[in-house]
Amino acid sequence: MSESANGHASSALVRVDHVGRTYPDGGVTALVDVSLEINKGEYVAIMGPSGSGKSTLLNLLGTLDRPTSGEIYFDGQPMSKMRDLDAFRSQKIGFVFQSFYLLPTLTAVENVQIPMFERPLSGRARIQRADELLKRVGMSHRSSHLPMQLSVGERQRVAIARALANEPPMLLADEPTGNLDSKSGASVLDLFDQLHRQRGMTLIVITHSLEVAERAERIVWIRDGQLSEQPASTAQLREHL
Amino acid sequence: MRFFSFVAKNVLRRPVRSLLTGLGIAVAITAVVALLGVSDGFEKTQLSLLTARDVDLIVVGAGLSTMDTARLDESILDQLQDDPKIGAKIARITPLLMDKVKLQSSPIPIVLRGYPGDSAALANMQVQPGGKTLNSSEKDGVLLGSILARNLGKKVGETVEIELKKFTVAGIYNGSSPFEDSGAIALLPTLQKLMARPGQVSEFDIVLKKGLVANASAMTAIREAVKNLKGPKGDLYHLDAVTTEEYVSNSNEIKLSKAMAWMTSAIALVIGAVGMLNTMIMSVLERTQEIGILRAIGWRKSRIMRMILGETFVLSLAGALLGIVAAVVLTKLLAALPAAQGLVQPNISPTVIGTGLVMALVVGLVGGAYPAIRGASLPPTEALRYE
Repeated sequence: MSESANGHASSALVRVDHVGRTYPDGGVTALVDVSLEINKGEYVAIMGPSGSGKSTLLNLLGTLDRPTSGEIYFDGQPMSKMRDLDAFRSQKIGFVFQSFYLLPTLTAVENVQIPMFERPLSGRARIQRADELLKRVGMSHRSSHLPMQLSVGERQRVAIARALANEPPMLLADEPTGNLDSKSGASVLDLFDQLHRQRGMTLIVITHSLEVAERAERIVWIRDGQLSEQPASTAQLREHL
Repeated sequence: MRFFSFVAKNVLRRPVRSLLTGLGIAVAITAVVALLGVSDGFEKTQLSLLTARDVDLIVVGAGLSTMDTARLDESILDQLQDDPKIGAKIARITPLLMDKVKLQSSPIPIVLRGYPGDSAALANMQVQPGGKTLNSSEKDGVLLGSILARNLGKKVGETVEIELKKFTVAGIYNGSSPFEDSGAIALLPTLQKLMARPGQVSEFDIVLKKGLVANASAMTAIREAVKNLKGPKGDLYHLDAVTTEEYVSNSNEIKLSKAMAWMTSAIALVIGAVGMLNTMIMSVLERTQEIGILRAIGWRKSRIMRMILGETFVLSLAGALLGIVAAVVLTKLLAALPAAQGLVQPNISPTVIGTGLVMALVVGLVGGAYPAIRGASLPPTEALRYE
């Protein structure tokens, strides 16, 4: 249990409190008064059609962006008051992107070491830890390959290993299977299940795929920048996505 | 993996980009070092022409120091020798007329010096075997500097046409500087007649008796006496007696050389700096998305700056070394071409090399820092969208 800033006792790892996000340049309101709690160790999928605001919400949760109204609390601490967001991202959050975003000049084992530069580890310790992580995602046999020498599924596995580099308590994934074939996608989702069940990791996955969302414990529906009810029928669901 | 290894891998594993960036830097540094070397060499050559002369004082018209405008009456020589405050202290005095003349076979004017036939300057000339120096009877004789003789393809005994008058090459001399070797020497009366400057000289070169140069009060007294020398009607000649160093610093030719060298160097530095800035900014701007990825996974701005500046340092150093080597080779090749006529010997001194190196590193780091700061300051979401 943690104590939130406004005094409420909560078991939420993340609490989104009346958050809005407006982009003044284009006059676009991406999120409107969103409130949400995600508990420690929970596996949550955020679903919605393109342009619904789900990626904006993920960026706010990951401190890649700041809300224009409301507050987000992490483990009871308001993110707007955090002095060192770089350190927060480095230590508390692992990111998995749809386009993987691996550095093309580095091998798999070198890519996994990148987040570790923000920790006081020796070069040898970084290599050792990266090897362990690649083994965990089933990629140790491809550790010396460059991203362009890997299949898209393998690249995403390396990206997941990189996200785990500093043992963050929370993993944020933005359409993690969006660029993968069904077999590679299923394999990545199996890896997420494993991280959730065996390591108690908090997982927040953005998707517009029902198949991906159904792997999660809870689905949060979002539409036009606001949280919405779960669609009651297939027709409603189709309209929702 | 250590941080330095990461920086090195970023450079080495993008061979095409690194090569192009390095070449961009190298081209800029080649231009800067070569131009600085040429202008430096030109200035030094000019200086050596004047400072290599074995004289203690040069008597010139006050305020007139170019060879075209310096016009003194030849008869002043006798007065200088007869003046008790001056003449008694002189070991040797030589009138000299210098003028720019045109050769029939070359579009570039050369400097023709005229000495009296019995002067020590002619007697001491280092003439190559097969030739001889001029004597008072050789009115149509000329001595060619070794570079001029080579450029004209002239040998001893052949004729050369100067200002439409034919001269016979009496000898080929080795002077004290490439500039001197690019000129020629004739008898004083011949040059006066040729250039329609009868009875005129440019200056009087004085060698003082032993021990006087080191005696400051004696030197001051001689110089004062020269300044106060009056003509037969009691009018001041307005002469000045200057040391070779003073002569050089007052010379309009040297001032012109220095101004030209300075402007050439300034243009080279500006062009080089702009070229390098462009190369570095483009090289880092295209990595904005990569910077966004690193920011997203928690890298601090300072670490991103260290990465970019580390890579920039490696590329700038490599580019600078390549550029300096290319500049040395290029200037040697160009100086050897007939068009250069041996007039300019590029001088790529340690100072010039240092200037190129410092410029490469400073401009490279500034050029790398700007887009790195910009990229690192962008919100990660925006940087990630950058293609």
